[in-house]
Amino acid sequence: MKALTKVHTYLLAGILLLLLPTITQAQHTHFQGTVKAHNTPIIGATVSLVNTTYQTITDENGQFIFKDVPAGKYTVNIRFMGFEQFTKQIELPLSKALHVTLTENSEQLNGVTVEGKNTVQTLNRQAYNITALDAKKLHNTTLDLSHALDKVAGVRVREAGGVGSSFNLSLNGFTGRQVKVFIDGVPMDNFGSSFQLNNIPINLAERIEVYKGVVPIWLGADALGGAINIVTGNSYRNYVDVSYSYGSFNTHKSSVSAGYTAKNGFTVQVNAFQNYSDNNYWVTAEVADLASGLYYDKRVRRFHDNYHNETIIAQVGVVGKKYADRLMFGFTAAQSRADIQTGARMISVFGDYFRKGNTLLPSLKYQKNDLFVKGLNVSFTGNINLGTEQNVDTVARRYNWLGEFSVKPSPGSERERSLYKFRNNNGITTTNISYKLNEYNSFGLSHVFTTFNRKGSDATSPNSQSLKQPRKTQKHILGLGYKLDASPKWSMSVFAKEYLQQNTSSLAYTVDSLGWGNTAYKEQTKSFTKTGYGIATSYYITPKLQLKGSYEKSYRLPENEELFGDVINLEGVDTLRPESSHNINLGVYYQVPTNDMHRLIVEANFILREASDFIRPGLNTNGTKQVMTNQRDVRNTGFDAAITYSFLRRLNIGANVTYQNIRNTTRFENGAKVESAVYKDRMPNMPYLFGNGNAAYTFINFGKKGNNLTFIYDILFVEQYYLRWPSQGTADTKYIIPRQIAHDASVVYTMKEGRYNIAVACKNFTDSNLYDNFSLQKPSRSFNVKFRYSIYQ
Amino acid sequence: MQKFNKQLFFTLGLGIALAACSKDDNGSPKGNTGGEGESKGKSRYVIAASPVGSLGEAANYLVTADSLHTGTVTTTGNGIEQDGYRYYAFHKNKLFSLLYGQGNPGAVTAYTLDTTGKLTRVANLLTETVQVFGKVDNDLLLVKVPRSGDANAGMFRVNADTPRIVGSNTINTINLAGNGERAHFTGAYQVGNKVYMPYYTIKGITGAVFHTDYTDSTWIAVFSYPGLQYERTIKDNRTSYIGYYFAQNGLKVTENGDIYAFSGAVQNGAGVKPSTKPSAIVRIKSGASDFDKSYFFNVQEKAGGRHLKAETYFGNGKFLVSFYVEPGKTEGFIQWAVVDVINQSLTWVTGAPPSSAILHVSMFNSVEENGKTIGVGITTAEGTWIYNFEAATAKATRGLKVEAGSVTGLGKLKY
Repeated sequence: MKALTKVHTYLLAGILLLLLPTITQAQHTHFQGTVKAHNTPIIGATVSLVNTTYQTITDENGQFIFKDVPAGKYTVNIRFMGFEQFTKQIELPLSKALHVTLTENSEQLNGVTVEGKNTVQTLNRQAYNITALDAKKLHNTTLDLSHALDKVAGVRVREAGGVGSSFNLSLNGFTGRQVKVFIDGVPMDNFGSSFQLNNIPINLAERIEVYKGVVPIWLGADALGGAINIVTGNSYRNYVDVSYSYGSFNTHKSSVSAGYTAKNGFTVQVNAFQNYSDNNYWVTAEVADLASGLYYDKRVRRFHDNYHNETIIAQVGVVGKKYADRLMFGFTAAQSRADIQTGARMISVFGDYFRKGNTLLPSLKYQKNDLFVKGLNVSFTGNINLGTEQNVDTVARRYNWLGEFSVKPSPGSERERSLYKFRNNNGITTTNISYKLNEYNSFGLSHVFTTFNRKGSDATSPNSQSLKQPRKTQKHILGLGYKLDASPKWSMSVFAKEYLQQNTSSLAYTVDSLGWGNTAYKEQTKSFTKTGYGIATSYYITPKLQLKGSYEKSYRLPENEELFGDVINLEGVDTLRPESSHNINLGVYYQVPTNDMHRLIVEANFILREASDFIRPGLNTNGTKQVMTNQRDVRNTGFDAAITYSFLRRLNIGANVTYQNIRNTTRFENGAKVESAVYKDRMPNMPYLFGNGNAAYTFINFGKKGNNLTFIYDILFVEQYYLRWPSQGTADTKYIIPRQIAHDASVVYTMKEGRYNIAVACKNFTDSNLYDNFSLQKPSRSFNVKFRYSIYQ
Repeated sequence: MQKFNKQLFFTLGLGIALAACSKDDNGSPKGNTGGEGESKGKSRYVIAASPVGSLGEAANYLVTADSLHTGTVTTTGNGIEQDGYRYYAFHKNKLFSLLYGQGNPGAVTAYTLDTTGKLTRVANLLTETVQVFGKVDNDLLLVKVPRSGDANAGMFRVNADTPRIVGSNTINTINLAGNGERAHFTGAYQVGNKVYMPYYTIKGITGAVFHTDYTDSTWIAVFSYPGLQYERTIKDNRTSYIGYYFAQNGLKVTENGDIYAFSGAVQNGAGVKPSTKPSAIVRIKSGASDFDKSYFFNVQEKAGGRHLKAETYFGNGKFLVSFYVEPGKTEGFIQWAVVDVINQSLTWVTGAPPSSAILHVSMFNSVEENGKTIGVGITTAEGTWIYNFEAATAKATRGLKVEAGSVTGLGKLKY
């Protein structure tokens, strides 16, 4: 382990050396422009500089940009399905942007083979089983990232309540910490409660990539069940995007994103956002009479669920320099405060308990392509969170759902008296080096290092020795990959990963010489080393029909909170072992041949997963907290499928469905010799059949040229599932999470080609009782309106 | 895995325990007045069993059986699902299912058998999560014992005939202990018109909550009823404290009104000072206000150095007592003996599964009306059965098979 830390130090030193500016610097420039037809922007046109590697795709506004191109003469080529190719000689730098109008190609009606692919579609067609969600299309909605993710096949976000409430992400049957989340390739593990998927507005993201199964090594971490990478927008030089929304339950959300890049490469980016909500939505609750304790049902408003967060992310740096394509110094400052209305069930009602936290996270990002030699790309990121988290439960009352309370003797609490405040000192570095040897062969090396060192104290027990004991982990994940692009039809990646973890905690023991009851602590250290590997490949049978397949033997190392507790409901277990799984994924992507007015795409994915030593929650010895244990083997055979249809960019219809057959494959439990009654039973408390549907129609040039009016309808379906083992007990006495059908509707009006936007939405317009978790009711019907101003250059 | 679970179950103290599910004191026919409908003189056993899926995903299922001696019951497709961690008390011909919800609210759900013998829910109410529950007159007495923070224990009276909270009071456990630690009750028992609550003391500080320096004394706090006013503490120092965490057993009033109290004399536990006293049974004579100094049953000596763990009362001075197998330890495997507290004799039980083969033992056991046998749910690698322990012969016989991973408790209801 020591040696590894040393290696890491060398790596760091190496990277730092790379950061030093080099002396020579040729003149570089940016080349940008727009592509239109009939005065309408063309999305997804391929723009390339002939005989170079420069190639890109136009965005939703028909714009493209090449950054950091050496000055000189080039041939620019622009292609788009159904249009004549555009070719022109240019000499960079150009005095102004290139504006191109394409003319229609009469061949199109006879069937065209050239594909128009935007970034999202290009990603969807990698060897990895990846679904990319174009977040830009959702920028006029009030969604946060977690709700946007919920629209992806195979993903289910289970939320406990309203704005800012805790959530649990599941992807192909893996849940919680088994699914890794990244922002721009940086693991989000250490961002703190103030900067999470449930409070980051969709406007921060350009797209969301969902990896099902095998995760490319450049993402690096120990993802067991796939990964999610949120890509924030930085493809424009100068932009401002401001939005504000107001809605039911006194909900205010606003966000500002702005970026500026000077001619000399100096760049500043600022993202700021805020959420505020009283979350006082209607629920059907069991109200306990304070005197007799007897329960009765009543529709009541939530009364202690205020949530707010304020976050600012600032980055300053340079782009397009000889020594760095991108070098950014950043700082994220965030704070949040959440009233806690309920425990894990609505039957536990709180009226004063709250948590608060902040994030203070300095960061560094460095990226350089073609370093020293052409094809050698390096990137490095690093950050550390110095923020604190605190749980405050000091009011001795027992509330009911009417907000009435009985007073308990003081000092006491509603649940467990706490003023515990802690800082995790959680830092992460990621390093990626890739080398493209030639057109066919490329290599990659990645390294992720995380460090965790919790320090905390509780004013209610200031002298506690146990709170002063070490809680530390260090984790290294090293990946080595090789990619073969054998032909335009066939590509393949193989990789191996080395996982290392070292945990330091302390063991309590009694020392005879000190007398009984005097506990001493001795430091103990545990280390793991595991090796994983995998392969991913993709093949185009026809240009419109692609097959993908992958296999991986993967590991997930126990998380810090699983080892040391979250200080609320999770007790630490420092003896946890890594969990592992074998994963096989198969995918097919098919674009049904139609004429150009229609577009029909079908995608399907199949998964087979055998997991062992699953880290699952249990209860501690006196039943007061959760503990994680390595228990049970699980098999998941599942599939998800999605279909999208569009007609002339006006009508869009889509639907997806996910089925996960997750079965318990532990045949003998607790040392028993008889087969377990729940062997092969469906894993309880996990949604297994769910889907989304949506339909949208846009009136183009509505009212005025350049203005569009869109009507959108969304539906979510989740089949009923059991809280506990399906096979056990009499069916009509069992606890269930009922079938969920939620309808949302919205109208969006965009003016001046997206510069001004107004959206009005109604969520859950049938006002159904919706549940993602047993007994925890989600928001009743709500309305909101969102205003957005956006300008890009 | 196997080792982990064994440790878990044994440290949990899920050994046999009497608690509130034996027959009424003295086997008197009082009670049974609040049942739903007329009793036809029939009865049925209710068994709370968990399927094999342990830990977080397993619930208890309440299944019924007509006999503890023969047949099979299963939780597969059968039984009323219980929400959360549950404990059970049988009182006034009702089964009370108590939710253990951490510092969160608890709940009490009451069931009876309907006229066809089907188990039916009759009430559901909010309470605190409690560590102690006992039967007193027509009430279920619930006690929430704080282990840290606020030192006041809450006591709640729940009427068992028409289940609802009918009264409450608090007691400061630090003041009660008076030794700098805090009192932690192990059970609540009706003695005449009083409630006796044995306790031990704990430090109650974060990181050392269950640590204690005081393991060489015996304490029983006496409360009035129904006023729940603290009156006095009965103390002794010949053995250690009575009962253990969440025991609901350790004190019993016999037919003639004498009280017998059981101490395991704790040896093992983080931060726990091992007791220097022997594991023993002590007595308070009927009507007396103090321990009977002339009576001291050093059961540890009788049991070859083994410490007792828990007791269930047959009747006529005979108890089914579990002992830790390894002499000098209060952890690990257990074995049983029939102990006669009047004659101070001990007979090891035969016919039970070998100690080292036992994976789980029920916490609450069923005493047959005639006091001849006690039914205990025992799980081994081969499966789970109700073993019927006979007082006269000290023999255990395998009876009803329960197709489940473990049995939490069992008892009998009439209909």
